[in-house]
Amino acid sequence: MSKPPDLVQGTLDLLLLKILALQPMNGWAISLRLKQLSGDVLQVSDGSLYPALHKLEQEGWITAEWKQTENNRRAKFYSLNRLGRQHLEKETANWSRLSTAISHVVRLEEA
Amino acid sequence: MRPQHWLYTIPLRLRSLFRRRRVEQELNEELQFHLEQKIEQGIANGLSPKEARYAAMRAMDGLEQRKQEMREVQRIHWLTDFVDDVHYAIRSLRRTSGLAAFVVVTLALGIGMTAAPFSMVDALILRPRPVPHPSNVVTLVSTTHDSSFDGFSYREYLDIRGKTKSYDGVIASGDLGAVGFSAEPGATPRIKGGMLVSGNYFHVLGVEPQLGRGFRQNEDEVPGRDAVVVLGPDFWKHEFASDPGVVGRTIRLNGTDFTVIGVAPETFTGMRIWWHPDFYMPLAMAQMFSTNPQKSFLEDRDDRELNVQARLKRSATLQQARSELAVLANDFEREYPKFNRSRGAAVRTDFEMRTRGDDGNWKFIVVFVILSLAVLLVACTNVAGLLLSRARTRMREIALRLALGAGRFRLIRLLLTESLILSCLGGLGGIAVGYGAIKFLGTFSIPSELPVTIPFRLDTRVLMASLALSVLSAFLCGLAPALQGIRVDLVNGLKSADADVPGRKRLWGRNVLVVAQVSTSLMLLTASFLMARGFQHNLLEGIGFAKDHLLMASFDPRLVQYNEAQTEQFYKLLAERVRVTPGVQSAALMQNPPLALEAFEGVAFVPDGFQMPRDRENFYATMDLIDEGYFGTMGIPILRGRAILASDTAEAPRVAVVNEQFAKHYWPDSDALGKRIRLYNRAGTPVEIVGVAQTIKYRTPGERPMDFLYMPLAQHPVARMVLLMRSTGDPLQLVKPVKDIVRTLDPNMPMLRTRTYEDLYRYNAVEGPRIAIEMVGTMGAVGLLLAIAGLYGLVAYNVSRRTREIGIRMALGAASSDVLRLVMGKGLVLVGMGTVIGLAMGFAVEQLMNSMLFNAGGVDVLAYIIVVPSLFLVTMLAAYVPARRASRIVPTQALRYE
Repeated sequence: MSKPPDLVQGTLDLLLLKILALQPMNGWAISLRLKQLSGDVLQVSDGSLYPALHKLEQEGWITAEWKQTENNRRAKFYSLNRLGRQHLEKETANWSRLSTAISHVVRLEEA
Repeated sequence: MRPQHWLYTIPLRLRSLFRRRRVEQELNEELQFHLEQKIEQGIANGLSPKEARYAAMRAMDGLEQRKQEMREVQRIHWLTDFVDDVHYAIRSLRRTSGLAAFVVVTLALGIGMTAAPFSMVDALILRPRPVPHPSNVVTLVSTTHDSSFDGFSYREYLDIRGKTKSYDGVIASGDLGAVGFSAEPGATPRIKGGMLVSGNYFHVLGVEPQLGRGFRQNEDEVPGRDAVVVLGPDFWKHEFASDPGVVGRTIRLNGTDFTVIGVAPETFTGMRIWWHPDFYMPLAMAQMFSTNPQKSFLEDRDDRELNVQARLKRSATLQQARSELAVLANDFEREYPKFNRSRGAAVRTDFEMRTRGDDGNWKFIVVFVILSLAVLLVACTNVAGLLLSRARTRMREIALRLALGAGRFRLIRLLLTESLILSCLGGLGGIAVGYGAIKFLGTFSIPSELPVTIPFRLDTRVLMASLALSVLSAFLCGLAPALQGIRVDLVNGLKSADADVPGRKRLWGRNVLVVAQVSTSLMLLTASFLMARGFQHNLLEGIGFAKDHLLMASFDPRLVQYNEAQTEQFYKLLAERVRVTPGVQSAALMQNPPLALEAFEGVAFVPDGFQMPRDRENFYATMDLIDEGYFGTMGIPILRGRAILASDTAEAPRVAVVNEQFAKHYWPDSDALGKRIRLYNRAGTPVEIVGVAQTIKYRTPGERPMDFLYMPLAQHPVARMVLLMRSTGDPLQLVKPVKDIVRTLDPNMPMLRTRTYEDLYRYNAVEGPRIAIEMVGTMGAVGLLLAIAGLYGLVAYNVSRRTREIGIRMALGAASSDVLRLVMGKGLVLVGMGTVIGLAMGFAVEQLMNSMLFNAGGVDVLAYIIVVPSLFLVTMLAAYVPARRASRIVPTQALRYE
């Protein structure tokens, strides 16, 4: 299983873009940040992280670069590029529209 | 995806493709880094190094699968897989190189057979004209009841140009058949061909001269003022050795000095298919090349010799242009009822012009293409059959692959890759075969004074078509075997070396292939036979006159600037002196001999006392202008009345001789003799019919009887004439005495096209059909050869498959004749079915050819009586050879077979 079933399709991409929007990071650091940010609610396995990153790279949203880490080891750092930023904005807008709509519907049912 | 996106994605894809190892290494390194970090974290959290490693690997959910997932997002695996497939396919084909070679040769023949016909279709129908945006160029034609492709007169052209709004420009051009050209004023003129064009010709077509300039608009306004000429690229190359200083030089055309102002670009070989004009000059210079001094080309509204073309505006549709021109044609009809009654106009696309109904060439070629595709089909079925038997021997390999988890789609791809490689090799061979065939077509010389360009060539368009056919045939040949290959039953496939599923399903495909082959080659043979018989029939029917012992030569006194009186005098003296030359039995002057390359002129007329249909002004018939020696020299019998006589001079009453067909057509119930026709229209010159001649063949030996009219030269003088002499001995012995006579009359007068009439006849009526028969015959032979190979292969394969079974049968007491019957029976059924289907296809092709090429109707029984049994015999022989081998199987050996 590459993704937890409760992670809506496309959400992982959005999360990754958002994380990278703050600063360029390597895969390991991203995995730590994901855990830290979402607590244990969103379970993203290491296994599904890398294919997702590579997909974003091949789509042209993020750019990869080999750089030294703080403790002087070579790692692949990903950063958001201009297209990725535009894409993120669009996706964020989509997401908020969608989540507003869904929570609206859910509340309707409760009432 | 947006273009700016590609900025990022294309370099990535290229990198994945060409730096595969590097990318793979980075992928490993990245994951390695992650795992190491994770392990370090685990150890820091108190796990043992071993536990930490396991935990890290577990979190990956299967490292190798992840890597594969990451490779797949690179989206190039389809390509890398293909490269792998190609490597594998080449290896496996090399193992069976004999079979591979056979397949390649078969495909090469099949594809090569299509190259020549396609090059013909391309040249005649598909290849765009050599101008920018050729599809916008349409042709405007004048139409009547009798013809849908007439030209326009100069006055009409000016009106069209001025009054239409759908076009970016309207151009006109007229052919100048034979012009005497000399580069220096003193030199003897040689015959060249050029074009009269409107001043905007190059501009509207979008053709920019490579040297000098094109015409200015005002160079086409005053008759005879601007003697300027633009040279065609070939002419410039051959006559002026591509001299860049040619612009500004003076050349002499029909005795007038013309200034060279430009050279058309290399790419612009003209708007004609069969002819590249040597030079272009303004329409306003037309008068000095006029073939008929009584007509004033620039003034007469009914002198319709111009080919009018126009470039459609981007904003205008063809429909708009059509209705606009229709309205204009109505206006013409109202304004000039004398010239334009019941005459319409139409806009035709280039395609419509090239596939016009009155042109037989393209029809023949379409039939030719259909036949060549049939040969390709036979080749493909043959190859499919071979690949099928190959797939069978590989069943175990395929079963093993499937058992190990190979995807079925992936396997189909692998098998298709193999046939793709085969057919690409076949395609290369086919291009070589096609090259040869097209070269062969190029050797056909047409005996015209002007060089006729053979437009068939192996260019990129033909190459692309051959390549596309190769790929298509790869699928045709490869798909069935591939599908069958993967249908293998795993358990059986792995168990025995010769996995043969009981039942007939497996062989069904091969049987269909053999039936298809036999029937298609039967159709091909029938077609070639019918074609040969059709042409032969045309030739045997006779042409209606004696073609032997005739010598011909043409003259055109305009080349040496004779006026009308000089021309008349020249021909009078020439005929007089030739007729008294020893060895000359008789001699005749005419405008055109029958069955020659030049088209006869047409004449409009109204038969006196004939009830004209309400909607028409006149009828048309083709005609020839002749002198009093014509009927005697040609040996055409006069059935009633008299021939044209020397007394039918310009001052005498106008007379004509018609052929029998004409007489029967217009006066079915009474004698045409003494009847009168009026030329052009009801008020035209009356002409009395004084004789009825036997109907002969005029244009082609295969034509239907047509109306024909002869009128005396003396009453309708023309400049260009053909002298025909009947000799008592070898006609070529007359050449020298005739040359001497011409020289004494005028040493500068060129004597053109001096040859025997039989020579001309052979080229025009025999050579073309001969080439056609040879090509279709070759196709039939290749098709038959392939079908024989296919049938032989099938039976041989069956025998080898059933060796053990046959051994058992023989051990149990079957005689070898029983075995022979068993094996042959199958082949017999297949050939029988193929023959029946082939017969049906043959009838269909016969109908098609009759309707398109020949005038014959009905069914040619003899063709079938000869073709069907011979095909049957030959194919049965192909089955017999392996069957006989089967009947000689020694049971003890056969049973030990495995």
